[in-house]
This record gives sequence, C-alpha cells and structure tokens, in this order.
Amino acid sequence: MTPGSTPAACAALLRRDLTLAWRRRGDIAMPVLYAVIVVTLFPFALGPDAALLERIAGGVVFVTVLLAMLLSLDGLFRPDIDDGSMEQLMLAPQPLALLVGMKILAHWLTAALPLIVIAPVLAGMLHLPGPPMAVLVLALGLSTPLLSLLGAVLVALTAGTKRSGMLLALMLLPLCVPVVIFAAGAVAAAQDGLPWIAPIAWLGAGLVLSVVLAPLACAAALRIAMES
Amino acid sequence: MANWVPLWLHRLGSPPTFYRFAGSVYPWALGLAILLGGVALYGGLFVAPADYQQGDAYRIIFIHVPSAWMSLFIYGVMTLAAFIGLVWRIKLAETVAMESAPVGAAFTAITLATGSLWGKPMWGTWWTWDARLTSELVLLFIYLGIVGLYHAFEDRRQGARAACFLVLVGAVNVPIVHFSVNWWNTLHQGATIRLLGPSHIAASMVWPLLTMMAATKLYYIASLFARVRADLIASEGGKAWVRDLALGPAGGGKA
Repeated sequence: MTPGSTPAACAALLRRDLTLAWRRRGDIAMPVLYAVIVVTLFPFALGPDAALLERIAGGVVFVTVLLAMLLSLDGLFRPDIDDGSMEQLMLAPQPLALLVGMKILAHWLTAALPLIVIAPVLAGMLHLPGPPMAVLVLALGLSTPLLSLLGAVLVALTAGTKRSGMLLALMLLPLCVPVVIFAAGAVAAAQDGLPWIAPIAWLGAGLVLSVVLAPLACAAALRIAMES
Repeated sequence: MANWVPLWLHRLGSPPTFYRFAGSVYPWALGLAILLGGVALYGGLFVAPADYQQGDAYRIIFIHVPSAWMSLFIYGVMTLAAFIGLVWRIKLAETVAMESAPVGAAFTAITLATGSLWGKPMWGTWWTWDARLTSELVLLFIYLGIVGLYHAFEDRRQGARAACFLVLVGAVNVPIVHFSVNWWNTLHQGATIRLLGPSHIAASMVWPLLTMMAATKLYYIASLFARVRADLIASEGGKAWVRDLALGPAGGGKA
C-alpha cells in the first residue's frame, strides 16, 4: 500500500484505534463485566426457576448486550473530538464516511466482540440449551454490528452537546426495537423448534443496508455537530 | 401572471413575513378548529347511531382515529420540513420541523391514552404488545428524542440541524406504524377508512370523523403557527424587525 492512499489511511486509522484500545485493556473488560452483573441480577429478581429462566434467556441476553453497547458508545467519537483528531479526519483528503466506518469497525471489535464471546456463558447461566445457543451467537453476530452502526449515527448527532448519556438512550433504544424483535425472535423460534432463518435473514438485510448508509449518515451528522 | 406564487413563497421564507402571515392565519385556524371540533363532537356523540357490536363505547373513535392520523401526518410534515431545512438551509423550515414535534408528541400521547381507554371495554385490557400499539409507542419515544436532542444544544441552530437529522433517521418508523395492521394480524383492527375503494363504516359515522379530521388539522396549523411565532421572536431577538415590533416602527432609537 502506498502511504497516503485511501486503503493505507483506513488501515492506519484502524491500527491506531485498536492500539489505543489495547493500551487501555481495562476499558474493554468493562462492558463484559457489566453484562455479567446485569444477567446475574435476573435470577435474583425472578427466582431460580429453571424453566422460566430458559424461556427468557434469549431476550435477557439481547437487552443486556444492547445496554452494554449503549454504555460504550459514548466513547466512540468523544476522545477524538476532545483532542482535535476529529478535525484532522474531516480535513483529510480521504472520504470521511470511510474513515468513520473504520472507527465503527474498531469500536465493534473492541466493545461488541468480547460480548459475543461471553454471550454463550451468559445464556448458559440462564439454562439456555445448546442448539438455540448457536442461533443466539449467529443473531448476535448480525445484530451487534447493526447496533454499532445505528448507535454511531446517533452518537455523532450528540457529539456537539456537553451531556449526552441519557439522551443517547432516549434516541437509540426506540430505533433498536426492530433489531431486538428479530434477534430475540430467532432464538425463541429455535427454542420452540420452529424455522428461525427468516428473522436472521431480516437482520442480515438490515445489516447490509446500514453498512452502506450508516457511515454516510454518520459523516453528515459529525459535520453538523462540528460546525460551530 | 402565475409568477406571484413562487415570489410569495420565497417571501414567506423570511421570518418577519412569516410572522405577520402566521399572525393573520392563527385566529381563523383556531376558531375554525374549535367550531368544526364542536360540530364533529356533536355529530359523533349525539347524531351518529350506536354501533351494533360495540354499543356506545365505539364513540371514542371520533377522538382516537383523528389523533392517530395526526400523529403520522405531523411526522410527515416534520420529515419534509427537516429535509428542506437540511438541504437548502432554510431557517424557517428547521423551526417548523422543531415546533411540530411537541404537537405531534401530544397527538401521539392522546392516541395512546384514548386507545387504552377504548381497549379496556373492547379487548378487556388496557395495553397489549400488539404491533400497532407498540409502533405507536415507539413513535412517541422518537418524538421525545427529537425534542430532547433539540434542547440539548447550547446553540439553537445547531440543535435544530442535529434534531432535523434525527427526524429523517426516525422516519423509517412511519411506514411501520401505518402498515402494521396489514403486515401483522394481531388484536388491533385493520384500516376502516379507505382512500381508494369503499370504506367499511356507515356514512352517518364517517362525516363526524372527517369533520374531526379537518378540525385536528386546523388545530395543528393554529398551534404550529403560534409556536413558530414565539420561536421566531426568541431566536431573532436581536434583529431590527423584532425591535420595531416591540417599540413601534419609529420609537426604536429612544429606548
């Protein structure tokens, strides 16, 4: 790759973000710890009835993953805006949407991938049996990038405000409803022995659509936020 | 010549012209809305016959259905205004989009509340996780998110631009609400009034419904214009036309 070309810039940005995340390994563990603790709370709140826990396992895991990702989303652009590197990205000759897409990819690798790895353990704590577990991991693999992309657009919109935590939840969670319905629906169908490919296909279609559109929307939203 | 129409529309985009225009339309729209609303309520509550199946309880339809139409219609207007505001950077379009949001949220809340009151005697439950109900609730959350984002920014203009963007992102929910009764066969009944083809409702019940629809539209216009006027005064506070308005055309110098 020639230095300064678009692929080289994308690779450099990805390497930089991953290095930054690796230097602060403790932060990567936070969403995972959070998810473990939230899932542990459900048996305490609902009682240790195995049949009930198995029934709700899929939904609980998806909502927990969604909340854990929500917590990590705030850090997606804020450090770059604070130290001025976002302005440099905007001034760069490479398309901003592509560079932002690399940042979203780095965020997914550091924040969502550990959650997918830990998800079978969480589902196992709630007595989810083996075959639906595979569907759960597949649905998570498709829905977490979708949540990262959707979340990145909204984070970019709030990037110009001082306080954004609660506001981000208010904006993101309604838009996540279809993702949660299809993802948890696939696991529920697998538990009942029904065909589960249709909701998975819907998630895949949504993911393809948002891979194309979300980085563009995200770049436009960042330009609005950084205008002043 | 027909040239005056685009010319008039261009002039309307300027805050002082729109302020005067909205001020002259507002009392008429509000008066007509109250008048038509009263006629529609009388027609719905006293003239229209009781339903053969639901008795008198169905009469809440005259509030519920027009509000539900408005909750989607206002989002449509917002989407259009937000698009115009973002693409052509017309400040007035941004203001219209942002000031529509609380009105739309109110109509959505009324739809949910009356639907819940109607659901209790008909379905035996206040709330069910039905596709229509859930998507309408999500619509309310989206409205609230837009209002929240608009007010989170220090700079009004920047907040309006960000929130307009959110309006466009949230627009994906509108077709879901509209078609939810056709796509998923759940508790909520399908569409009764059709634009194309015959409606599934008696004519004596249709006219109060359509009158109420006109009344809610007029109320929206009145409410929107009043809100936009207040917003223009607040955001253009430093401009000469607001000073002239407050102090009289000539007296600006002495105050």
